[in-house]
Amino acid sequence: MAKSYDAIVVGSGACGGWAAMQLSKAGMKVLMLEAGSSVDPAKDFHHTLLYQMEYRGKGKPGFLRRYSGSEQNYRIMIDNQENPYTTSPDTVYHWGRSRCLGGRSLHWARASDRMAEYEFKAASRDGYGMDWAVNYADMSPYYDRVERFIGVSGAAEGFPQFPDGAFLPVMPLNCAEAIFTAACKSLGWPTTHRRLAQLTRMHNNRPPCHYCGNCVNGCDVGAMFSTVSSTLPVAMRTGNLDVRTDSVVARVRMDSENRARGVTYIERYTMKSVDVDAKFVVLAASTLENTRLMLLSARGGLANSSNTLGHYMMDQVGGGGVSGFLPKLKGGPSRLDDGKSAGVTVPNMVNFDKKTARKDFIRGYVMNATGGQSEYPRFASALPGYGSAWKKEIKSRYVAQARVWIAGGEMLARKENFVELDPEVKDHWGIPVLNIHFTHCDNDRKLLAHFQQTAEEWFRKAGGETMQGMGRSGPVGFPGAPGSPDADTNRTTADSGPSRGAAREGEPRAKSKEHPLAGSIHEVGTARMSANPKHGVLNSFCRTHDIANLYVFGGNAFPSTGDKHPTLTMLALTARGCDQLLEQAKGGSA
Amino acid sequence: MDFESLPSRRDLLDLAMRAAALSGAAEFFAGWLKAAQDHHGAGEHAAPPEPPFLRDYQPKFFEPDDFEALQAFTEILIPTDDTPGAREAHCAHYIDFVLQASGQVPKTQRAWRNAMRALKSVGFHAADAKGREALVEAMSQPERDSSARHPGYFAYRLIKAQNTFAFYSSRAGMIETLDYKGDTYNATFPACNHPEHQVV
Repeated sequence: MAKSYDAIVVGSGACGGWAAMQLSKAGMKVLMLEAGSSVDPAKDFHHTLLYQMEYRGKGKPGFLRRYSGSEQNYRIMIDNQENPYTTSPDTVYHWGRSRCLGGRSLHWARASDRMAEYEFKAASRDGYGMDWAVNYADMSPYYDRVERFIGVSGAAEGFPQFPDGAFLPVMPLNCAEAIFTAACKSLGWPTTHRRLAQLTRMHNNRPPCHYCGNCVNGCDVGAMFSTVSSTLPVAMRTGNLDVRTDSVVARVRMDSENRARGVTYIERYTMKSVDVDAKFVVLAASTLENTRLMLLSARGGLANSSNTLGHYMMDQVGGGGVSGFLPKLKGGPSRLDDGKSAGVTVPNMVNFDKKTARKDFIRGYVMNATGGQSEYPRFASALPGYGSAWKKEIKSRYVAQARVWIAGGEMLARKENFVELDPEVKDHWGIPVLNIHFTHCDNDRKLLAHFQQTAEEWFRKAGGETMQGMGRSGPVGFPGAPGSPDADTNRTTADSGPSRGAAREGEPRAKSKEHPLAGSIHEVGTARMSANPKHGVLNSFCRTHDIANLYVFGGNAFPSTGDKHPTLTMLALTARGCDQLLEQAKGGSA
Repeated sequence: MDFESLPSRRDLLDLAMRAAALSGAAEFFAGWLKAAQDHHGAGEHAAPPEPPFLRDYQPKFFEPDDFEALQAFTEILIPTDDTPGAREAHCAHYIDFVLQASGQVPKTQRAWRNAMRALKSVGFHAADAKGREALVEAMSQPERDSSARHPGYFAYRLIKAQNTFAFYSSRAGMIETLDYKGDTYNATFPACNHPEHQVV
């Protein structure tokens, strides 16, 4: 007889890992299903310099067309041939995904900022969209709990728009970041160290960061938070968790009483279909995969009495930015500038209170800056000239590289941005894929234009100079921060240099002149939370309004993007939802 | 060498003590300690060696005369001076290696055949060393003067781009020339403590 579980968790990314840990620690028998392969950081993650690889990070020409990522990390990304998706003709969107144990937690940017009250209640303030069904007071204890477990380095600053948390000591600033901080002070702007789920001291039996800067290729020691380094070991120690990798979930199965009975998955290599049952089903397979599963599980979509499932898709506004050099640093000694992939942050400065309200656009954005040496000097090919003088100029500028980018810009929620099942295209296992409809609106463009103006002001105040041929987003690449526009494609000429991964934020994916707006791999929405079941799919605990034992963790619940990176909020929502699930189970009401 | 970025002996001892308290992490810390100590002992070139395959590599994509011309061109672009150049980095060999593996992208292979034809037609193959230097100078003019034209300019840009990548992604370029310090085990991160960087 097949084993029956208390809960099935679909997906092993940040939220799936947390849910598996919290539920198994509470004594539930949990099954985690992961569509991709298993990962062992000690064996699979290495420090690999470009010259140690035959193709110097680019892979054999043509090979990486099939994968996202670079030669270093494509194994923890996704096989695009096995997992296609389609888009409407006017869509400019790249869906950044991973399929492996740990998912995107293995190579995320680690930025861990709390959303503020003004973001949870944005609609009440400016009249657009819908408020969250939770407020900051609801979320604060869960932010505390998550931060204390994952470990976030940061500094408490008291900025109202950038709530402080339970921080570990900050990572020191490099020279470029010190100059950018001085520029902020001169401008009278708020600034702080980038807040990162990256350890600066021993924490929960995990070692501190060793400043290699290799984060997006997988951390070999678990100094950055990921499922495999942090939540999964705790869950496994309970003895209550079974993990099945290479298990592609195809649908949620329902019983005759409108309750989720379990799921059906397909064994990745044998193609065998397997049913498993549980008292609770938790979808945590990433925002859009969760929605895809709900669309696959019932005609018209599971738990869709509100007719909002699939709609209000968002991704934080990215694109733009400034790259160049800080003359103060030219000709200086080589330093370990990119060893922490951190930076400095300027919290949102617009539309968070009456004093900062603007008439030309609503909502806000956060900026980051960093600089200094990087593994490869992306600007080199664009620097005119050749010979010894050119080499010396490269070396002089190499340590003076500098960059400002948008960390997160709020994209407005619009019903016409949605996902649906493609009627024709199926994945490797015969499961219909998503068709994505995604465009930006005028407010998104105005917000990005304002960011661009502000970023240039910051860069100028720091004394920065740009170089013709580098472009706005420029060829400078830092691990964990934006790379180049073609970083995960398989360019066969070398103008762009190599990539150190695909965990990029705010980087144009399309032709930048035609589509200056870009995504940030922060996709959210498509099953938003609502106080009223008529207006959304999920309640404030991320449980579906319609099905009492179906929870959905990820970015699905977000009614708006806010201007902070979403992962910390997703984790806090997961912790809060799991509390509710356990309460529900205790009451025997699964 | 910038010693600020290196762990002190005290840092290393501190790490060793922490390692003892961490189950399963001892192996990692042993590697960390060794890497850090090697770094101390071996000066600025403690990064891993380059795999030897380019040293004995025989060109497969280019004809011998084209390969000789390409080698000369890359060495004019990135000469050996007080730091290594394209010769030590085996840039021409690396370019050949990538192109021979580019069967799936025939457009790239065509572009390079055209570039070598252009190089031959402007007389680069037949020129002596001084003549070749003069030709590269002429071919590069449009890069600095938008009104200038040269039939070999696209070949110059193509070779420069790939040569730049081949050089700065090699050990000779990345470590021995630029002194890149990342992708290693470090006990601390070097904080900026320069007074001139604390003001603008």
